[in-house]
Amino acid sequence: MNLRRRFLWALGLGWGATPALFAQHVLQEQLLQPYVGVNAVQKGRVKLEIARLADNGFNVPLKVSVASPMTAQDHVRRLLLLSNRNPRSLMAGFEFGPSSDQVLISTRVRLGGSQTVYALAQTSDGLWWLDTAEVEVTESACLDQT
Amino acid sequence: MTTTSMKNQNNGSLTRRQFVVSSAMASGGLALGFHFPAAAQSNELSNLGGNEINAWVVVRPDDSCVIRIARAEMGQGTHTGLAQLVVEELECDWAKVSLQTFTPGQNLARKRIWRNMSTGGSRGIRESHEYVRQGGAAARIMLLQAAAAEWKVPFSEITVEKGVVTHAASGQTTSYGKLASQASKLTAPDPKSITLKHPKDWKISGKSPRRLDTAPKVNGSLKYAIDTVLPGMQYAAIKACPVFGGKLVSFDASKISSRRGIKAVVRVDDQSVAVLADSFWRAKSALEVLPINWDFGANAKESSATIAERLREGLTSTNNVFADIDQGNVTEAIQGASKKVEAVYGTQFVSHACMEPMNCTARVTADRAEVWVPSQNAEASLAALAAVTGLPLEKCEAYNPTLGGGFGRRGGTQDYVRQAALIAKQFPGTPIKLIWTREEDMTQDYFRPIGQCRLVAGIDAKGEMVGLHLRVSGQSINAYVSPHNIVDGKDRRQLQGYWKEPGESQLGYTIPNLKIEYAMRNTHVPVGPWRGVNTNQNAIYLECFIDEVAKAADKDPLTFRRNLIKNHPKHLDVLDAVADKGGWDKPLAPGMFRGIAQFMGYGSYTAAIAEVSIKGNDVKVHRLILATNCGHAVNPVQIASQIEGSVAYGMDSLQSESSVKDGRIVEKNFDTYPIARLYQMPKIESVIAPTYDFWGGVGEPTICVVAPAILNAIAAARGGKPVRMLPLKTEGLKLV
Repeated sequence: MNLRRRFLWALGLGWGATPALFAQHVLQEQLLQPYVGVNAVQKGRVKLEIARLADNGFNVPLKVSVASPMTAQDHVRRLLLLSNRNPRSLMAGFEFGPSSDQVLISTRVRLGGSQTVYALAQTSDGLWWLDTAEVEVTESACLDQT
Repeated sequence: MTTTSMKNQNNGSLTRRQFVVSSAMASGGLALGFHFPAAAQSNELSNLGGNEINAWVVVRPDDSCVIRIARAEMGQGTHTGLAQLVVEELECDWAKVSLQTFTPGQNLARKRIWRNMSTGGSRGIRESHEYVRQGGAAARIMLLQAAAAEWKVPFSEITVEKGVVTHAASGQTTSYGKLASQASKLTAPDPKSITLKHPKDWKISGKSPRRLDTAPKVNGSLKYAIDTVLPGMQYAAIKACPVFGGKLVSFDASKISSRRGIKAVVRVDDQSVAVLADSFWRAKSALEVLPINWDFGANAKESSATIAERLREGLTSTNNVFADIDQGNVTEAIQGASKKVEAVYGTQFVSHACMEPMNCTARVTADRAEVWVPSQNAEASLAALAAVTGLPLEKCEAYNPTLGGGFGRRGGTQDYVRQAALIAKQFPGTPIKLIWTREEDMTQDYFRPIGQCRLVAGIDAKGEMVGLHLRVSGQSINAYVSPHNIVDGKDRRQLQGYWKEPGESQLGYTIPNLKIEYAMRNTHVPVGPWRGVNTNQNAIYLECFIDEVAKAADKDPLTFRRNLIKNHPKHLDVLDAVADKGGWDKPLAPGMFRGIAQFMGYGSYTAAIAEVSIKGNDVKVHRLILATNCGHAVNPVQIASQIEGSVAYGMDSLQSESSVKDGRIVEKNFDTYPIARLYQMPKIESVIAPTYDFWGGVGEPTICVVAPAILNAIAAARGGKPVRMLPLKTEGLKLV
């Protein structure tokens, strides 16, 4: 789904006034705002690895790493995994400190249908870093958009 | 013979016979290729000796154009329809067009440049018309830019017709084949700068050129997945626990291992066992006599009767029920009405019964996995293969030839791909061809969900419907396949066609006091989308009941509907179109009776009239008139074909049933599961009435009006006695 469509979905306008049949995709700004507030979010440092296609959304493997020296002066504070379609957008949150050796998470998440997964990290200087990945959950593809 | 009439456009009137004749002539006279990727170790898509202008279009030196299509072809004609849309903008010569399909691996390797490969929900054209037309237009612009550069003339002065490019002022002319190499090096235009043609200017779309895939079907050269043959291939026959949810405990392989050709007997997963042999017949025959010990579990106590009882409870329960529409005060309105009408309807589990049974050929090694599979979503097949083998998507590939029917069975649910991959994983490097027997296919389906519906209506002294309370109690597809689509415990999909919102499947009637509810009552039987999904059952419930109410109000069914539907002009127009074509106001021959129905689904408006006679218990459907407004009619003859197919499907659902006894499906083959036969088919007339202000679906929408129109005609023939419980044999009736 392209950005324009997602935008229309979020406004409830896709498909020529779509019935609010299913969970709608949340806009990126709305999704991130509770965590980052008015602060800027930049691409980089965070690397999210997740397969483009998942045969079902029940347990989708993913890997996230954040490039950081993990020193007292420069380290990752938190890492959040967000979904723009799940009923609860915060899928997981991790806290780190300088004593953490590295930031490398390997886990499985539950995805409520095809969507964008967000990995959002905050470094000790207060800056926010983001990586995103689109995932097509194929099992329900026939049913997703009708 | 079948006739088609096309409103708002004077083309496309072609009889079935003319169509067959012209197709046969075309296939004899023109060389049209269909390119299907064979097994390849690379994810690169061949350019077939031409130049790729963009992802959608390859132009070859002889001016022939190859159009790439992402959606799966299963007879519905989407390949031809989508190619028409691309060619419309490309302005090449239709006579020189061929198709190329590609694999999901190739789509992924190019960052899903062709987007969604999923083929279901009547979405092929209505979801992708814009970007495929843009693909064709972008290629045209690049080809013309190449000509402008070569001739050093302004782009705006160049014209093209059927792939011949002309600069009138200088008298120069060339063709796409000669420009392709240069054009392929140009930067693609910004999609926002592209203006697509208005349908009134269409030359290929909106007409009915012959299908691009007819010749290989007629001459037998078309290979389906079930025709796959690979070197060293072994055949597998499979049996899953006949009771859904039951488990495989053990089997005694020694009893069959000495039979000729038997290679192995394997546990596939918790519930199934497979026999491998050097031929399918040997594998299947051995499996039939293999001693298997099953743990059937508690579901073995389930039957059609226990399921019906659970659904009945949901009709009046206050537990686990949600109201999707609750406007006015239904209870008061019905209590205060001068007449009350009440009915309970029921629809049965039905099987997809694809002509090509489920099958999948798999080859798995330590670092590569491939499947050859009939799939409505090759990306889902690929994802299932990756999940089973644990290999990354890049090391997996799914080859997806034309399907021998799909009807929703081969969409998201890729159980047969998982099974083939699980077996092949146990024999690295050996291709395993898994074929389901018809019996396995009919008993291990994802069935159309079972349901009941209670309807209560109030009529005032003037005969107007002042209140309607409708409650569906039945199984949920989402609960089984995609629970995330149930939001806050509300599964709106089961109320498809009763939705208030316009655009997709909107209720056409305006009733001042209206309550629409759904009580989810799940069973142990797997369910899934079945061509038309819930519009089929929901149209039967409402449209048959509307006839009951009209009769109670002493009104003509058409007049009664027209009054209720007047706030929804598109619904009304289609209803009027079918009434007009069907001659609703004209008398019928003695012994003949009519029924009418309308409904909306998949973005399209549909209506039907059936003409029926009854002799004893034999129901003869003589004539069906169907009207649809699908917004844009890309290929009217294909739309008419889909309508005809939907009549067969609608008639299947009147006479067939997958019933449950001892936890398992009783009907295992066509002897007990009747599908529509040639002799049962009525004369079909279709009215295609596109209004060109929206894009609707075609494959599914008209099915849902077939059954209620026939049922209403049957009720009329029985002096107003409706058939409320399906299939027809419940009432002792049969189609002849």
